[in-house]
Amino acid sequence: MKIIIAQMINGIALGSIYVLLVTGFNLMFLVGKIIHFAYPYIVVMSMYICWGLLKLTSNLLIAIAGTLISSVILHMIIEPLFRHINTRKGSVDINSSFIVSLGIALILTEIMSHQLNYGFPIAFPLNWMSNVMFLEINLIRISSGQLYTLLVAILLTLMLFMFIYQTQSGRAFRAIAENISMARLQGIPIVRLNLLLYSIAGLLSGIIALLFSMLLGSASPWLGEYIALKVLAVAIVAGLGNLKGGLICGLALGIVESLIIHFLPGSWSNAIAFLMMLMVILIKPRGIFNKNSIES
Amino acid sequence: MVPNKGEIILKIEDLSVCYGPIAALKKVNLDIARGEIVVLFGSNGAGKSTLLKSVIGLKKPAEGRIIYREKEINLWKPESVTRFGIYLIPEDGGVFRTLTVEENLQLGAYHFFHQYQNQFEVVVHLFPVLKQRLKQIAGTLSGGEQRILAFGKALMSHSQILMLDEPSMGLSPKYIIQIFETIQALNQRGYSILLAEQNVRQALKYAHRIYVLESGQIVLYGNAGDLKNHPRIKEAYLGS
Repeated sequence: MKIIIAQMINGIALGSIYVLLVTGFNLMFLVGKIIHFAYPYIVVMSMYICWGLLKLTSNLLIAIAGTLISSVILHMIIEPLFRHINTRKGSVDINSSFIVSLGIALILTEIMSHQLNYGFPIAFPLNWMSNVMFLEINLIRISSGQLYTLLVAILLTLMLFMFIYQTQSGRAFRAIAENISMARLQGIPIVRLNLLLYSIAGLLSGIIALLFSMLLGSASPWLGEYIALKVLAVAIVAGLGNLKGGLICGLALGIVESLIIHFLPGSWSNAIAFLMMLMVILIKPRGIFNKNSIES
Repeated sequence: MVPNKGEIILKIEDLSVCYGPIAALKKVNLDIARGEIVVLFGSNGAGKSTLLKSVIGLKKPAEGRIIYREKEINLWKPESVTRFGIYLIPEDGGVFRTLTVEENLQLGAYHFFHQYQNQFEVVVHLFPVLKQRLKQIAGTLSGGEQRILAFGKALMSHSQILMLDEPSMGLSPKYIIQIFETIQALNQRGYSILLAEQNVRQALKYAHRIYVLESGQIVLYGNAGDLKNHPRIKEAYLGS
C-alpha cells in the first residue's frame, strides 16, 4: 500500500510534467497553428545544455538561467521558419509544419547522438538531482528532487491556465485558436502574439527540461522521441487542442505509468500505456474531450 | 433624411480585386462621408463581401486605392486597419463562439483596454441583454443575440466606420427591424456605416445613400430618397 502511495506521488510528478508538455504542444497547435512534434526534443536539447553548463561552471544558478535563456532562443530561431510556412501558403498549413518540426527533431537527435558526449547518455551530478531523501517512512521514499518537481509543475500548470483563461493575452490566444481571421478583424496583433507564444513555449520547455533532469537524473539522445510520441498520443487521446482534456489525460498517463511499473517489469509501462490509448482512439476517434463531430 | 454632407472619410478609387483569373470587382469607386449610412446592394456573388474584405485588408486589391483619413490603406493588414478605426462585422456573425460574452467585449476593447469600464457602461446601456449574459458562452446565445454582441464588440473598439456584411441574414423579421434600428442608433452616435445588404426594402428606409453592385461593377448610385422610385431598383429588388 505504502509503495503504491509513493508510486502515486511519483506518478503525479511525472504526470504534471506531461501536462506542461501537452499544454505547450496544444498552445502551439491552437495559437501557432503548427504541430510542434519537436517540442519535447527541444526540451531534451535544453537538458543537454543544462548538463553542459553544470559541467563547465558547476554553478547551479548559471545552469538554470542558461537553460531557460537558451530554450527561449531555440524557439526564437524556429519561429520565423514556421511563420514563413504559414504565410507562404496563404493559409495555415498544419501538415507541412509537422514535416518541418519532424526535421528539426531529427536534426536535434543527430546533434545529440553524434556531437554531444560522444553520443553516450548523460548523467546529472548528484547535487543537481538533490537526491536527499525528503521523506522516508519504511518503503515510502520521496526525494527532494521529486518534491520540487511536483511543486513547480503544479504551480506552473496553475500559472499557465490562469494566463490562458484570465489575462487579455490569454483571451487573444483563445480567440486566435477559434478563428484566426476574425481575431485579425478584432485588431489583435497576430505577429506580436505569435512572438509571445514562442517565448512562453520556450520558457516552458526550459523549465520542463530542468524538472525532467531532476526527476530522471539522466538523458539520452533518444529521450526526445520517447517523450514526443507520448505527448502526441496524449494530445490526440485528449482531443487535439483541448487544454483541459490534456490536463486530465497527462496526469492520468503519469499515474498509470508509475502504477504499471509497480506491478510489472518497467519495460511494459510503455506498451500498456499505448495499448490503452489505442483502445480509447478506437472508441472515440476525435479524443475523449472533443465532440465527435467534424464542425466543432 | 440626408444630413449635411460631412467630410469624406473613406474613399475607394478604381478598386479592382481578382480571385485568380476571375475579377470580382472592376474599377469600383465609392466614398463615405462622416456620419453617413451607405448601403451596398447586390445579389449573391455581386462582390459586396469582396469590397468590404478589401477595405479591411483581408483581400489585397489588384489595383486601385483605398484612402481612409488621408492615408492609403490598400496594403495594410486587417489588424492595423481595425486598430486605425474601421471595423468589419463579418457575415458569419463576428463573435468568438467559444468565449464568454464578457471575454468577447474585452477583446473588442483590445487596444483600448484602459478605457474598458467607461465604454462597457455605454455598451450595456445600449444593449441591456448583454449585461444579463456576461458569463455565458457566446456560442449558446441565439442568432439575434449574437448579432447584438457583435455590435457591442464593435462599439468597444472605438471605431469610426462600421462595416456590416448582411447583418439581417438568417434573422426573424422582428430581429431584422431591431438590427436596423440599432444601426440607426449607432449612426446617430456618430458612426459612419457601410452596409452590404440584400434586404433592400428594409435598408432603403434607413440608408442615406446607396450603391448598386452587379457582377463587380457599380451600376447605380445616389441618394436613397431619389433612387427609391428608380425603375431599375423597383424592378430588380422590390419586385413590382
